[in-house]
Amino acid sequence: MNLGERISKIPRQIIYLFMAAAIVFPLIVPIGMPINVMPQTKKLVDKIEALPPDSKPVLISCDFDPQSMPELYPMLQAALNHLLSKNIKVLVMALWPQGAGMGEMALGEIAPVLNKKYGEDYVFLGYKAGAAAVILGLGDKIVNVFPADYYNKPLASFPLTESLTNYNDLSMVLTLSAGTPGYREWLAYGQSKFGVPVGAGVTAVSAADAYPYLGSGQLIGLFAGMKGAAEYETALIKGGYKLLFHQAIKAMDAQSLGHLFIMIFIIIGNVGFFIMRRKK
Amino acid sequence: MSGSLWVWLSAFLTLCIFSFLYKDNPFYRFAEHLFVGTSAGYLIALSWHNTVYPNLYVPLIKEHQYLYILPLMLGLIYLTRFIPKFSNLIRIPIAFLLGWGSGVVIPAEIQTDVIKQIQGTLLTRGMFTRWDNALWSLIILIGVIATLVYFFFSRERKGVLKPISSVGVIFIMLGFGASFGYTVMARISLLIGRLQFLLGDWLHLIK
Repeated sequence: MNLGERISKIPRQIIYLFMAAAIVFPLIVPIGMPINVMPQTKKLVDKIEALPPDSKPVLISCDFDPQSMPELYPMLQAALNHLLSKNIKVLVMALWPQGAGMGEMALGEIAPVLNKKYGEDYVFLGYKAGAAAVILGLGDKIVNVFPADYYNKPLASFPLTESLTNYNDLSMVLTLSAGTPGYREWLAYGQSKFGVPVGAGVTAVSAADAYPYLGSGQLIGLFAGMKGAAEYETALIKGGYKLLFHQAIKAMDAQSLGHLFIMIFIIIGNVGFFIMRRKK
Repeated sequence: MSGSLWVWLSAFLTLCIFSFLYKDNPFYRFAEHLFVGTSAGYLIALSWHNTVYPNLYVPLIKEHQYLYILPLMLGLIYLTRFIPKFSNLIRIPIAFLLGWGSGVVIPAEIQTDVIKQIQGTLLTRGMFTRWDNALWSLIILIGVIATLVYFFFSRERKGVLKPISSVGVIFIMLGFGASFGYTVMARISLLIGRLQFLLGDWLHLIK
């Protein structure tokens, strides 16, 4: 058996074991690899950073479910931490049913620690079915789409929402999007029709598809995958913010080593392939 | 180690799913079937509480807005699919949905994915104020045109079309490479998320 055949017969379980080791080791013993903040992340961070404390509220849409938590939940935590620390009011909603649970959990973790009051500093709108109708409806009248918050209290009863009419009363929309409905719906029905600025945090799988919208200026900025979340957390720490959570930064060593091992295995696989082809 | 029963249950189910990496086994199948069943039940409950109850039951039954009988009827007609004698009726709600959907989606998609994307590809004087912007704008323009030429099937690829479509293939491959790289990153991220749970929430080995 030559080298090429030997390489091609490495049991896949061995490769999995190497991958597991490459990811577990840096989680237990952090290496502290540097994290560079990429331009698309910086763009969105700068846009949020440029909002003055008395600016209009920001609408965060949790368009993901627990399957995408490792990538998008750290972005949600960081965004809430960022906005509420800057005394910017926040509305949280979801176009995915399970997204409502994500939004409620993140608000519960961040808002009380920062001493923010429900109804004054933030309001949780919850989930509404029918993404296109919801986004179009918000452009007309927010209270028509969400007459009450997630806990069934009328929006008119909160100081934050009593005078809100439509997108004109919002600074921007930040969608944390794991698929459909997600950032594309916000662009098609929110940004294109009403001109509301839309920033997006997306899973890495959909990041390549989101870049054209960034290049054309339809997205004001982009957080791409767990790396994007780590970049956002890094930018906030560099900006002097006290972050309550930084799960994505903690995961970046594991992510980098995981990628390194995959590259090594791809090279080994190709070497084996070319050796076998030459023998034939 | 965690003292929570739910954390232990989650950890057990996670390990059941991971056991498939060795080979298919009853633990994996148990966890898989449990997941499918739980998800289906959860989604039915969610649909009732978040969609049917607030959007139909409350206005129709509690607030006596009888106009809501129309969407109810349209919804129920979908079920005639299972009664061969009346199955033709299903065209009514489908026609309604297609009409509404096309009216809403087509203009929005054209605006978002065609007009604004073409605008983003156009070269403007402002792009040439910085050399790097100008270079990237040119590369994008060449990439878009070459890729479109590659998908132009009405003429045989020879003469000037051949080298342009070959350039298009390079751009398509670059796109596939970027997508593949990001997909790998996403899968590793999901694995990290689960391992953070196992090592942190369950075993308390990491904070």
